[in-house]
Amino acid sequence: MRRISLLSVAAGVLLLFGTGRSAPEASAPDPAVAAAFADSTMAGALAGSPARQPRWGALAEDCYADAVALAALQGAPLGGVAAGDWPPGAIGGLIPPIRSVSDPFPTFDGMAVDSENDRVIFSDENRHSMLVYDRAAGSFSNDPTEPVQWVVGPKTRLGYIAGVEVDPKRKEFYTVNNDSGDLLTVFGYGDHGNVEPKRTLVTPHQSWDVSLAATRDEIAISVQQSNAISIYRRAATGRAAPLRTIRGLATELEDPHGVYFDETHDEIITANHGNWTQIRPYTAYDQRATDVGEYKSGAFHPSSITFHAADANGNVPPLRAIEGEATGLNWPMGIDVDLQHDEIAVANYGDNSIRFFRRGGRGGQQPLRVIRGAATEIVGPVSVAIDVKNDELWVANYGAHTAVVFARAANGNVKPKRIVRNAPAHAPTCGFTNASAAAYDSKRDAILVPN
Amino acid sequence: MAPARVIQGQLTHLSRTTHGIAYDATDDEIIAPNPLAAAVVIFRGGATGEEAPIRTIQGVRTGLSRPETVAVDEKNDEIIVGDPGDRRVLVYRGNADRDAAPIRTIQGPKTKLLQIVGVAVDPNRDLLVVSSYSRLPGGITGIFIFGRTDQGDVAPRRVIAGPKTGIARLRQIALDPATGKIFAAAINNEYLPPYDVDKPRAGLDPNVDLPSPWNTGPEGFIGVWDVENDDGDVPPRSIIKGRSTGLVHPAGVTFNAKDGEVIAPDAIWNGLFTFLKPELFNPAVPRIP
Repeated sequence: MRRISLLSVAAGVLLLFGTGRSAPEASAPDPAVAAAFADSTMAGALAGSPARQPRWGALAEDCYADAVALAALQGAPLGGVAAGDWPPGAIGGLIPPIRSVSDPFPTFDGMAVDSENDRVIFSDENRHSMLVYDRAAGSFSNDPTEPVQWVVGPKTRLGYIAGVEVDPKRKEFYTVNNDSGDLLTVFGYGDHGNVEPKRTLVTPHQSWDVSLAATRDEIAISVQQSNAISIYRRAATGRAAPLRTIRGLATELEDPHGVYFDETHDEIITANHGNWTQIRPYTAYDQRATDVGEYKSGAFHPSSITFHAADANGNVPPLRAIEGEATGLNWPMGIDVDLQHDEIAVANYGDNSIRFFRRGGRGGQQPLRVIRGAATEIVGPVSVAIDVKNDELWVANYGAHTAVVFARAANGNVKPKRIVRNAPAHAPTCGFTNASAAAYDSKRDAILVPN
Repeated sequence: MAPARVIQGQLTHLSRTTHGIAYDATDDEIIAPNPLAAAVVIFRGGATGEEAPIRTIQGVRTGLSRPETVAVDEKNDEIIVGDPGDRRVLVYRGNADRDAAPIRTIQGPKTKLLQIVGVAVDPNRDLLVVSSYSRLPGGITGIFIFGRTDQGDVAPRRVIAGPKTGIARLRQIALDPATGKIFAAAINNEYLPPYDVDKPRAGLDPNVDLPSPWNTGPEGFIGVWDVENDDGDVPPRSIIKGRSTGLVHPAGVTFNAKDGEVIAPDAIWNGLFTFLKPELFNPAVPRIP
């Protein structure tokens, strides 16, 4: 299958796709991939027809039935346009696309491991679902791994979801909508298919990760565009206000992503990409003129791991930061903390590595270990989870349809112990994370797509 | 389908939020805004991997706040930036770099611009087109047409807006200088009031069903208007809409005039769709009535 050259800025990535015109036969899908897609629940739900031989028949029918009902409520006939909805005199037609690029399979994004109940939970940003697997799942099979739960459908309110957290005692898992929905949703271990969340909380736009402090009964949420960490009551719902918000120039929060609420040491740990701008009201609801004081220009700072006091509130500086060239930090995404061994693991998206640092470290420290290389099958890591009980390390790949499992203390270019797949082996990913614009490169006959 | 090339990594100075992009065929350059660092980054056309931009516009003099959308005027060698952070359009020289001041700025109450989401330029007719979105009382959501060299607090020459347009909410726009056609991504999904940490989503019904990819609201479409002859509450001259097209909420639009193709990413499918519409790109064909 010829690879389409798309230049896409997926999560800050520019991907280049060719137009696919020169080799029409090459745009035919891989038969194995197509067969697996046709057999999948999502294929049926998205195509508007029941999947053939779905693995989860009731789930597929439920999703399809809801899609039909939703379309009926919206007054739009499936496959067409309502008569009153077509502008008078407009030419055009019900034209199908001559080419399309999208990924029919889920892609792993956020992740949490529950070693008490032997579950691993993933957010699927591409198809807006959550998948739960047995903790021991995975192998070297080329087939997709069977989840034990799959939360998907209109009732779930899942959008472009990102970070995931799990509450083992209550057997609940959370995710935040990074785009499209602005909501934290909570589901339980009994939830499967098209179900309503157990509860929801309105969150700031571009929330990315969520971390639970079980003893304090609080959650911390990182907010990218506000350069903030907001802390809520664990069971907050609706439009509940945060208890505290760490925000301001002194905080050194700069495009924050992964967050970890370390109750043991009374700290909130955050991975930052280093982009900073003075956020001014910019939406369609904000007044035209706003007084935000002296204009400050944007800035690029190095990626960093910042540590704030757990009770911090407002514009307070971090207690310390891990930052500098020696760290190798490069678009750090999810993080996790091994309290027993006093280490922080970082999903380092920019160089496809997992980096480990001393939890109490600061400044430009070298990582203790780095897992990186072709043998690791780490491609676009977005989340990492340390399972101390089982002495394992999990990595969720956005750049491949996999999660990979290593020994907890793995180092270097090592093979994973096992692989969890959400698609057949070798199924490519588009890399889209809410494709939001396009440009045509006439010189290369390519399409540029930022995300 | 996997991409043939990917530009990503710390050195690129990109962010995980990029809602605009432009390609300069004359200089073979890629231009992208970074709204989270108030910057515009320019790459060489063949850039790949963790490659640094060849130029970066950022600094106090630039006036950038939250750049959302970009366009290139190859004829006049200028970069146009739509910045909703300060409700303005900034124009830079094509080789602008570092702390470069804009050469022109369109900003102020007369412009009627609010959340600017798309910019395009017609160097043949000397026109600048801006898509803007407003939920304020008396605000306008539509396509605003200015003179290419207009600056300051100026009123648009024409505004395409109103119920007949079918526009509820806009995103990226593109313009074909050969024909004067404006292509607009009318995403049309609902947008929420901003989040104030002291009053989260004030005024929002606590039981409201928030929009999501599963609860999409009215369908969007790609609409085509004429930059010289359309004004006011007028329907699009051509439209790509309906579930057969695959589009639900198109977030952007571009085109390949040579092959007669209109290309649109969709915010629901998280994918990219190409449509064959050669009739829209032939200057010899009488304009669509």
